[in-house]
Amino acid sequence: MSKVKIGIIIDRYHLEQKATEFLKYLKLVANVSLYIEESYLLKSFDSTFDEDLFFVKGKGDLILALVKLIEKETSIPVINSYKGIWNAIHRFMNSVLLKKAGIPVPDFSLIPSEYPPPFESYIIKNIIDQKNYKFKPNIENINGAIKVSDERALTEMYNGFYGDMGNYHYLYYQKFIKSEWEYKIYIIGEDIYFYKQIPVLVNPNKMESRRKIAEIPELKELAFKAVKTTGLKITSIDFLQNKNGQFFLSDINCTPNFNYIKNGPKIVGEYLIEQAKK
Amino acid sequence: MTMKIGILSKKTTGMTGLMREFFENAGHTVKIYTLKDLCINEALFENDFYVLKSKKIVYIYAGHYLEKNNIPVIPNPNTIYNNKNRIEAHYLIKQTGLRLPEFYYGKVQTLKDQLKADDFPLILKPIMGSGSRGIKKVISFDDLEPKNDQPLYLEKYIEGTHYLVYFIENQVCILEKPPLSNEHVEMKKILLNDNNEDIQEVVIKWKSYYNLQFGHLDIVREDNTNKIYLVDPGSFPEFSNWWYDENPTPKICNLILKRYEDLKHNNHKNI
Repeated sequence: MSKVKIGIIIDRYHLEQKATEFLKYLKLVANVSLYIEESYLLKSFDSTFDEDLFFVKGKGDLILALVKLIEKETSIPVINSYKGIWNAIHRFMNSVLLKKAGIPVPDFSLIPSEYPPPFESYIIKNIIDQKNYKFKPNIENINGAIKVSDERALTEMYNGFYGDMGNYHYLYYQKFIKSEWEYKIYIIGEDIYFYKQIPVLVNPNKMESRRKIAEIPELKELAFKAVKTTGLKITSIDFLQNKNGQFFLSDINCTPNFNYIKNGPKIVGEYLIEQAKK
Repeated sequence: MTMKIGILSKKTTGMTGLMREFFENAGHTVKIYTLKDLCINEALFENDFYVLKSKKIVYIYAGHYLEKNNIPVIPNPNTIYNNKNRIEAHYLIKQTGLRLPEFYYGKVQTLKDQLKADDFPLILKPIMGSGSRGIKKVISFDDLEPKNDQPLYLEKYIEGTHYLVYFIENQVCILEKPPLSNEHVEMKKILLNDNNEDIQEVVIKWKSYYNLQFGHLDIVREDNTNKIYLVDPGSFPEFSNWWYDENPTPKICNLILKRYEDLKHNNHKNI
């Protein structure tokens, strides 16, 4: 039986830093074609693809455009979809959608930078989570009030996000949730994997404290609801738990690093092949 | 019935100011939210509905936020976003079956490596477009300059006569404009006649397909073929070159009020 053909839509960062093991495995079991953001020329009149499925590992504008073209011009499935990626990178939008779907998220607000913070304790996060740089928090504790700002958010603010904000500066505030653990949930299709770690604000070396944990039914229900709401098929989702035991979804990611799961590259590869054969 | 109306607009003058005047004269309360004071939070729930005048991304977010909280937003934020994002707009046009220019999208080095000399001339457009800002004709590789390592969106340049066409309900207003100019420059009024019936047909198809009350289109008639290309759709113009005697503002405002009533009625029906 011939191998399925899987197209990988990827940027150079993910190709060189995150996908080596995955591609090594995938090339054993499938025919693989690479579409690299930095060297791909998208032509609106060229949609002749012979792949059985596309997998997206990146979230830049060109990657999004290529996913849109494939979805519009062909019937080839793409994981994750345009809608899923768009919802995941537009932080304000996924907060709105998830809250509306009944998934608890920390209180949030998007306001001009000149305005006072809307919460006593807060995290300022980037509005569009599209670039490949890491979360770099500046943390202040002022009389017990925790004030965190992600350097990416401040850079984005001064550069004018989305290229059309001119001199107007906006900040996305998320209410700070004090949590002993940060729960990291990976979803690959129907499969779900549970981990916890000390929050990165307390210990930036997240892997030092990360451990696999047993399934938590409440988180499982919330995580699958989040996947359904956003349209993602492969994702990692962060949850925090306040002192009353309530969980809050604090982050959702469309390009999870599945190297952190035992046999992650193989699990993802097998899932993609199964989907390609459908 | 007196209503509280919010206008999401980057400025308080122009069409926004005129709409405020109209609504206030009709007894409504109006608040304009510019980028200086738009805070997207529950405070926005104070209005009965919103007019989405600006296409900037925070306004799109605000529109979605309001809609998700059952507050009508006119025009619909999806429509506004899809008109503004070049990729979305391309497929929006393609879906209607209307003719449109093809495009290339890639990083500068990729474009230099893979385009051929006879692919030029092209039009460079910002991926999130608004008016003529950032648009330039590219005639050779030398014109391709990197900008923040972002990919460049380049559209095939159609050599021909450029038109701006406004529409409000069934009224169509055609103007001949200098290529790549914005809505506000001086333009030549084109009377509706048999010679531009094809342009009118494009407008009718566009507005019917998406059930639009008003808007504008950039259209080019190609010199060589006489074919009509829809190059740029727009959702909420200033109507600064509207050439009919009748002032467009009351018409627009009444259509917005009518759409609000329809949405309210449908919401009640859905409940």
